[in-house]
Amino acid sequence: MINPRNDRWRHIILKWIVVGMFGFFALVAANLQLVDGNDYIDKAADNVIRYIITYPPRGEVFDRNGEYLIQNKICYDLMVVPREAPREGIDTLRLLAITGESPKRLKRAFSNARQSWRVASPIVKYLSAEAKLKMDEWNIPGFYTVPRTVRQYPRNIGGNLLGSLSEVSPRFLERYNDEGYYIKGDYVGEQGIESAYERELRGEKGRIRRNIYANNTSTDVVEKEPVPGKNLVCTIDARLQSFAEELMQGKVGSVVAIEPSTGEILVMASSPTFDPNELVIGRDRGNNYMRLLREPRRPLFNRAVTSPQPPGSTFKLLNGLIGLQEGVLKPHYRYTCNMGYRSGNIKMGCHEHRSPLDLEFAIATSCNAYFCNVYRNILENKKYKSSKEGYEVWREYVESFGFGNRLESDVTGERRGTLMERSYYDKLYRKSWNALTVLSVSIGQGELQCTTLQLANFAATIANRGHYFTPHLVKEIEGQDSIDIKYRTPHYTKVDRAHFETIIKGMWRGVNRDGTCRGAYLEGLDVCGKTGTAQNPLGEDHSTFISFAPRNNPKIAIAVYVEHGGFGASAAVPIASLIEEMYLTDTVKRPWLVEYINNLKPDYYKAYDRHKKK
Amino acid sequence: MTDIRRNNGAPSLFGGVDWWTVILYLSLTVMGFVAVFSASYVEQSEDPFSFSHEYIKHLFWLALSYGVALVIVLLDRSMWHKWAYIICAATIFVVLMTFIPGLGKTVNGARAWLGVGGFTLQPMELAKVGISLATARLMSEYGFTVQKFGDIAKVLMLLAVPMGIAVIQNDTGSGLVFCSFLFMFYREGLDNWICVPMIFLAALLILSFLLTPGVLLIALILIFTFSAGMLMKNRWKVCVKYVATLLVLSTLLFLVATFAFNSQINFYSALLYVTMASMVVVVWYAYRANIRKLYILVLLFFVSVMFLPTSDMVFNHLKPHQQDRIRTFLGLVEDRDLQYNVNQSKIAIGSGGFTGKGFLEGSQIRYGFVPEKHTDFIFCTVGEEFGFMGVLVLFAAQCLLILRLMRMGDRQLEGFGRVYCYCVASILFFHCVINIGMTMGVVPVMGIPLPFISYGGSSLLGFTILVFIAVALDASPIKRSMSLKRW
Repeated sequence: MINPRNDRWRHIILKWIVVGMFGFFALVAANLQLVDGNDYIDKAADNVIRYIITYPPRGEVFDRNGEYLIQNKICYDLMVVPREAPREGIDTLRLLAITGESPKRLKRAFSNARQSWRVASPIVKYLSAEAKLKMDEWNIPGFYTVPRTVRQYPRNIGGNLLGSLSEVSPRFLERYNDEGYYIKGDYVGEQGIESAYERELRGEKGRIRRNIYANNTSTDVVEKEPVPGKNLVCTIDARLQSFAEELMQGKVGSVVAIEPSTGEILVMASSPTFDPNELVIGRDRGNNYMRLLREPRRPLFNRAVTSPQPPGSTFKLLNGLIGLQEGVLKPHYRYTCNMGYRSGNIKMGCHEHRSPLDLEFAIATSCNAYFCNVYRNILENKKYKSSKEGYEVWREYVESFGFGNRLESDVTGERRGTLMERSYYDKLYRKSWNALTVLSVSIGQGELQCTTLQLANFAATIANRGHYFTPHLVKEIEGQDSIDIKYRTPHYTKVDRAHFETIIKGMWRGVNRDGTCRGAYLEGLDVCGKTGTAQNPLGEDHSTFISFAPRNNPKIAIAVYVEHGGFGASAAVPIASLIEEMYLTDTVKRPWLVEYINNLKPDYYKAYDRHKKK
Repeated sequence: MTDIRRNNGAPSLFGGVDWWTVILYLSLTVMGFVAVFSASYVEQSEDPFSFSHEYIKHLFWLALSYGVALVIVLLDRSMWHKWAYIICAATIFVVLMTFIPGLGKTVNGARAWLGVGGFTLQPMELAKVGISLATARLMSEYGFTVQKFGDIAKVLMLLAVPMGIAVIQNDTGSGLVFCSFLFMFYREGLDNWICVPMIFLAALLILSFLLTPGVLLIALILIFTFSAGMLMKNRWKVCVKYVATLLVLSTLLFLVATFAFNSQINFYSALLYVTMASMVVVVWYAYRANIRKLYILVLLFFVSVMFLPTSDMVFNHLKPHQQDRIRTFLGLVEDRDLQYNVNQSKIAIGSGGFTGKGFLEGSQIRYGFVPEKHTDFIFCTVGEEFGFMGVLVLFAAQCLLILRLMRMGDRQLEGFGRVYCYCVASILFFHCVINIGMTMGVVPVMGIPLPFISYGGSSLLGFTILVFIAVALDASPIKRSMSLKRW
């Protein structure tokens, strides 16, 4: 038998086992606290603190008469916490009936929700208030609804103009993130006013620091209150816009109307358009968006600013103005026109009218030959060394009217159009060119393109007799005394005020006496206008018309562009005339004209519809 | 020498009391109060001194424990030996009272509590005192030899009583505490051949999460063959032959089954079958060679095969709820919540860093991420709020207390005192290892408290009584007189 009292060896072993075990634990603790300590500190912080972003209501948009253009609407997301949901399952048929969701999507939503057992996940998004009430009535444990706001467009107008909201894309976050304001899942304005006034409309996000306790309770500390978005008053006249869109139905083109004295855009209709409600964030947005994107007539295109087209004869006004300013044209100058203009082997056709004719009548009847002469005189002015230099001078005049550059308005997607530099022709014709080479520019064809907005702005400039305000869409911003200074400073053209009266006289005559656009005549309103018929290789001529009314103290300047609409007088003139009538007199007294326009369906087969399946 | 002479003249009230133990005890309980306060303090409380707060209750228990400790030191120090069996019987009786309807209370699924008035008591904590006393008395009886099979069996039968009750109470953790007596047995001279497999088994039990069943089985076979070799002294050759035969036979079985019968048997199950079958031969060999102790090994082997997940194949054929029951029985419940608990506990300790987050600053504790933060997972509070420094201080205090108890045991002249002190040291050591290990995620979770630190009146009182009886025995005149004689 071993005497335990003397067995020192066993005593020592046991002592070292105890010391060794605590030593081992000390090492484990050191590993936890010193080596991996920082990881655990992060994990502990993750446990406890969550930052919750609170979203302010987005600003709403009104038209110039206080009518809602964009409104916030409350809808509801149906959420589920799978752990709390009834174990025996729920009546999914009833759920389907209430929410109107497809069984397949619902199934997928449920299986996604099951991934996170304790966390609430959305099952059906964008429920109507009615469906929400039904769900509340049903009251299944684990299911609840959370409100959210979506945009609503009560007037169903101005799809491109107003724009829509979309979730920020990874590319957006990477490139355009406004000082890191946006995070994944945020919504941002896309196109139109929603995009142009994103900063004003979105407000400022708030932040809540939430301390979370393990038993699922929490305390919130509001670190920053959300600042609601500012409401906007838009310059658009909703009724007029709606009317313009109605008139433009079935046609491809655009209408822009501007209040000349302020530069406010009254109407900006692009056709074909779409109902902005289709692109509201929601279940159908994706499908609708793809459908619109694939449509051959490109409804997502705001043609008023993104589709430069040749201005046609409306551009003759500008050449007239430049001629007068340069002194190479006097109102009483007469030129002959024998079914066109001939010089060497260059021929420019014209329609049948009296000859010879002076400036006033040349404008009214839109004589090609007259303006060929004018243009040639401008370029071949003895003051300048060559017609190339004359072209440069001419180009500066044209630029001062806002052509060839973006107007820098607040309409998104604005394009600059085409106004060639001298170097372009130098390169193209190897420096051997003269006024005759570029003669088509004199009647607004050839290397010349402008947007409808630029045309409307041109009309407004003439109406103002020589200056314009940058066209803009916003009249008032909530909490701001005035809009941006750039919309309130007049831009003066290089043509003197005096010369405009001559041109306006011609425009007035064209409408009121014996011109091309007598269809725009409105009794007592002194409408002035100029048609344009732009030839193009894709079919029927483009029909265009610029106009303003009344002659003195103009209230509205308008440009209408109907692609492949035929003569200026056949499509653009009635549309512009009806809009002017509507705006100035609040009524339309020519229902037959409305009907005529509605029945007018230009042939777009060659330009747009060729790819459409029959 | 000087120490003894000074006290010899007039025995004072606290004569011979080991003050180091008392100081360590006091510092641990103070640490415990700080930890419990931090874990249960509610900032928004209207009445911070209300008795509904854990820390106030703990203060009460602390005062009670100090009083009891004082009384134990002042009591007749020879009574513990005399009354050992009676105290044991009484405590076991109290434990059995939990089965009386109305008195017994179920907490966390374990029917291990007595509800007396507003207080709940876990009598098993007190039973540890009784069992330790009875074991000490039994093992210090005249003629008791640890090497004798019959004598060990007596102690094992004594220990089986509380363990059995604990299992019935569904409080296996408390029952397993008595396994720690192996520590004391070893000190008392238990043969190496039985200690070695036990220690390895304990290690395997912990590592069984990490090892595959095949590796576990091979480890088991090697451990038991090794201890059999130790047992049989000079017959190592037999052991080597035995292992070799096992390998050859199982390989044969595997090959034959695979190629001749095209069955889906794997090598691991072949080895299991062959080993099981070989036990017959082993028993026959033990009978022939008259080595009775080999039977114990065979029995132990069967038990370990059953308990460890080596019997994976058998296990997998059980119904899920049966599997769960076995796992629960073994305290190896693989529960999502349990995983979560250990994870949060590790985060709490780890986030403490070197100096800790400061008193009442621990977010894991404050916000209730750590479960049972003031009872079984109290170590997290120390780890999170006082950091590595606090942990080291706690370790040092616990470790020194255990070493002090062992030292007290070693200097006892009587077997009773020595065995008792080692029993106490074993229990404390086991509690510390399991509790600290589980909060740091190196030991499976078993619901047993950290001595002196965890909230809980019964455990605090139980550990106090355990330690102070040891102090009293250490200070007893018998010891002193005998040591005097010796000097």
